[in-house]
Amino acid sequence: MLEGRGQKVMVVDNDRTVLELLQIRLEVVGYHAQIQRTGGQALDLLKHTRPAAMILDAGLTDTDAFELLHTIRHRHDDQNFPILMTGRGLTVDDVRRALGYGAQNCMVKPYSGSEAVERIGRLIEAAHRGSQHSIELSRPQAVA
Amino acid sequence: MDGADLGDSALKATIANMLEVLGWEIELAAARSIYLDSIVGRMMTLIPDDRKAEFMEGMHTVDLLSQQLTGLSAFTQRMSGDVPDVNAYVHTALDRISLGALADRMSVALGGLEKGLNDGEGAGDLDLF
Repeated sequence: MLEGRGQKVMVVDNDRTVLELLQIRLEVVGYHAQIQRTGGQALDLLKHTRPAAMILDAGLTDTDAFELLHTIRHRHDDQNFPILMTGRGLTVDDVRRALGYGAQNCMVKPYSGSEAVERIGRLIEAAHRGSQHSIELSRPQAVA
Repeated sequence: MDGADLGDSALKATIANMLEVLGWEIELAAARSIYLDSIVGRMMTLIPDDRKAEFMEGMHTVDLLSQQLTGLSAFTQRMSGDVPDVNAYVHTALDRISLGALADRMSVALGGLEKGLNDGEGAGDLDLF
């Protein structure tokens, strides 16, 4: 049942309701939610922690969320965790931009909490599979 | 007092925005109910087997509540995308919410000023405007 196994998921959203509902939803299934209301707080926290995944809302008021995404991907080489970008009225261009800046997936608001948690679970799983895959691929080369 | 009597100082929002905000709040209520369900589930393990039957109906009720709220949230959120672009005054209705944190969150989401109340405070009557 506790599929999250204590893995950290950072949620960056300006909306207190969304933050609390995602915190509860994530923690009920065993994730450790790190909720942040501003892009600045998220960047500060990322100096000390590496989450398993991030849910980043495009509607932040203190920061341009796309710039934040770009900064995370370029300033922190080790921060290659999956990022789910969310937002009200995301356009096709927004989605292209988010994916181009390094988000793995996008979800338009309003969404259900269960849908968000399921999607984060799939992204984390895919990231783990990807890293395991690259380790398996690199082993024969190392042996050779 | 009618919102229209307050002129520009009254908080106005579109019906779509109102439904979306309401949908998020119902979604939060559903999440809290799911949390409650998980707590009750854990407590059930502490109850002796011969007494568990007494509490099963209560457990099913909590589960039903979660599903009910999740369904209402999905309905409300979906409807928010399907309503005409009409504005309405919301401050009088917000005044009817006695839980301060809830009224504050909804007010902010509808374009009002934040008071920063949390759920541990502000329960009871609150004059938001």
